[in-house]
Amino acid sequence: MSEILLSLREVSMHFGGLKALDRVSFDLVEGEILGLIGPNGAGKTTCFNTVSGVYRPTLGEIRFGGIRTDGLPPHRMAALGIGRTFQIVRPFPDLSVIENVIVAMGLPCYRGLFSSCSSWKGRATRERAMELLAKVGLDSLASQKAGMLPLGNLRRLELARALALKPRLLLLDESFSGLRHEEVSRLEELVRQTRKEGISILLIEHNMRVAMGLSDRLVVLDHGQKLTEGSPEEVRKNPEVIRAYLGKGEGGGSNAA
Amino acid sequence: MSDYSITIGTFIAIQAIVACGLNVIVGYAGQISLGHAAFFGIGAYASALLTTAGGLSFWTALPIVLSITGFIGLVLGLPSLRLKEDFLAITTIGINFIVVSVFLYVPFFGGALGIGGIPRVMLFGERLRGTPFFLLCLGFLAAVLLISWLFTRSWSGLACFALREDEAAASSMGVSPVRFKLVAFVLGTAMAGLGGALYAHYMRFISATDFGFPMSIMFLSMVVVGGMGTLWGPVLGALILGVLPEVFRPLTDYRMFLYAALLLLMIRFQPGGLLGETSVARQIFTRLKGGHGR
Amino acid sequence: MQLFLEQLLNGLAIGAIYAMITLGLALVYGILRILHVAHAAVYTVGAYVGLAIFSSTHSLTLAVLGSMAFCAALGVLIERFVYYPLLKYPPYVPLIGSIACLLAIEELCRLVGGPEILPFPANLPFPSFTVGGILISSTLSAVYGISAGVLLLLWFITTKTELGLAMRATSQDRAIASSMGINSHWVISVTFMIGSAVAAIAGILVGIYYNQVYPTMGAVPAYKTLALIVVGGLGSVPGAVLAAVLLGVGETLLIGYAGIPLPRDALAFIAMIAVLLWRPQGLLGGRR
Repeated sequence: MSEILLSLREVSMHFGGLKALDRVSFDLVEGEILGLIGPNGAGKTTCFNTVSGVYRPTLGEIRFGGIRTDGLPPHRMAALGIGRTFQIVRPFPDLSVIENVIVAMGLPCYRGLFSSCSSWKGRATRERAMELLAKVGLDSLASQKAGMLPLGNLRRLELARALALKPRLLLLDESFSGLRHEEVSRLEELVRQTRKEGISILLIEHNMRVAMGLSDRLVVLDHGQKLTEGSPEEVRKNPEVIRAYLGKGEGGGSNAA
Repeated sequence: MSDYSITIGTFIAIQAIVACGLNVIVGYAGQISLGHAAFFGIGAYASALLTTAGGLSFWTALPIVLSITGFIGLVLGLPSLRLKEDFLAITTIGINFIVVSVFLYVPFFGGALGIGGIPRVMLFGERLRGTPFFLLCLGFLAAVLLISWLFTRSWSGLACFALREDEAAASSMGVSPVRFKLVAFVLGTAMAGLGGALYAHYMRFISATDFGFPMSIMFLSMVVVGGMGTLWGPVLGALILGVLPEVFRPLTDYRMFLYAALLLLMIRFQPGGLLGETSVARQIFTRLKGGHGR
Repeated sequence: MQLFLEQLLNGLAIGAIYAMITLGLALVYGILRILHVAHAAVYTVGAYVGLAIFSSTHSLTLAVLGSMAFCAALGVLIERFVYYPLLKYPPYVPLIGSIACLLAIEELCRLVGGPEILPFPANLPFPSFTVGGILISSTLSAVYGISAGVLLLLWFITTKTELGLAMRATSQDRAIASSMGINSHWVISVTFMIGSAVAAIAGILVGIYYNQVYPTMGAVPAYKTLALIVVGGLGSVPGAVLAAVLLGVGETLLIGYAGIPLPRDALAFIAMIAVLLWRPQGLLGGRR
């Protein structure tokens, strides 16, 4: 249970002259919840994007499950076992809620020529999708068009979709932002439940209470560089971290619920 | 049915087949294609050449025609589908333009004179014309609709829907954008090729100007007017836009203008098409059915 | 050498005219991200209205001014009736609307003006002169003079005036420009007015240059200008102008000087494909 699942070594992401990520290295151990925090513009989502395949890192190496994965496109990363949510939710608006989830369930079928010709309308598929929806509490809205859902439900849908991939690693990109108090608690519970089922989690979160409460360990980024890593208590007391947040004129807990 | 109606009906059936193909590309996969008539032309020329110079029968030539059209769709689609929307739109116009130029200027394709003397389709020893040919076209249309319907129920089809809705999200769920855009494109162009082959054997004479940009716009209009992304939309669109010029025929001189004006009004006020979800037609229909509002 | 120079001068003139037609298209694309295919119809209307006014008043000045005003109004009408309401839909929707507009307006020109080719027997009050043994006719110097004037004026407006600043701001980000107090809808309409007025001038110039005005005179420019804005760089107005001039020169030299039997109109699309393969951001395109 203490195998390294994800490993970043000297990962850098340059956009022209801008160094969005600068030689970032850290490991994620299988089964843990690792929180990625830092002030705005620190490079957290950029980091996610290099891991999930949206960006090819300018420099550095990323290994997932022992395989070198930097530069692989997102659909390959999904096949390897990485699921993610998006900071700005991206539902399939014209498809129904259950169809949104079924898309993700098709992962094993998309690679083959014949399998991609088989039907997705079977009962088994539908039942499994309903189970996932029930898990996140959206089963009553299964046939609603996803584009009509409010934000809280959309965040849960994103989670259901990511879980439908049967991932080994789940990337949660600010999944708690914009949610009401009760929604936050419910989502926290879901995340813990997910980890119990053996899925490792890397999460970006501005809500400090959530980040500190959920994460086993934290990695702190600032200006594209890794500032420090450690347990929540260690990080909370680290003067550099405090300075990084306060120095930007932003209280560390400004987004605390 | 009068001979005249059969003629119109045959044209509508053939155009509906091509429009269904475009619907797969534009409606199901969400890719812009403003050069679809090029593949209509490739199918027509391929079948014409194979049955005249090549001496094959329509039926023997058909699988070859579909393969050629689909293959060219693959070759042209591979670089094009990586482009973003506006680039893709203009590139497909360019493809249409270049294909037509090839037909016009390369002597093998008959140049400005086109290809004539295309034989009729033989079935059970009968040369098909008039009503029997019309029924053949309807048969092919039914097959195309069946394939479209099966496509929407397949994982490939679902992948295309996902790509249409949100490419980044779809890709993060294992859907390879290039692969599935190509699948839709090849399927759509092959259907256009089928329509082209039927067209060649119906007209028995084809020339490059039949397959230019205005024709591509016709097909796109059929898909849009009928309802993009619906199964019957392209058929309805082909029906309406096929019948319309005939309705306006008495006003011969004003025909094109009325057609264009009608298209403009349609797209301006009913962009979702007649079978689209917010269309007036659908609203009237639901109200007639008993007033269950959406 | 003489032939080369003559063809070069012809090519520059044609390029200048292409530039004036493409200008409107590039401006509209820059500000709305819409392919304003109907622009070619505005160009055609410009020629017709100019001819009509000239035929009854025999004043070229009135013809030009009247046509510019009419086309500016037409451009705004298209923008308000077709594009603005359709902005929230996927891009193929306004595109089809634009194409339908093009067809409808072309047909109107045919119905009102007749399908025949009409002559435009005007005399452009520009001097003709000889430079180094090569004759620059009055038509040629008219095209150079007018296009240079128009482009200069436009450069001045977009870079030195507040309107130009507002136009550039709105094309970068409509919402933010709005929140800064710019009436973005008004700016959009002005953009259409400018582009359409310039197209009217181009239409009249072409009508006089070739002595031909006919309903489908916009068909070929419609496709070529699309290719040109890609070659110049989608969103770059100077790029479109540069591409237009280069195309004019290229087409003329290729056919008139090198005698290569390519269909003349294919060059634009070939250039576009070359650009897409090797330099997708176009000649002057950059940040997007």
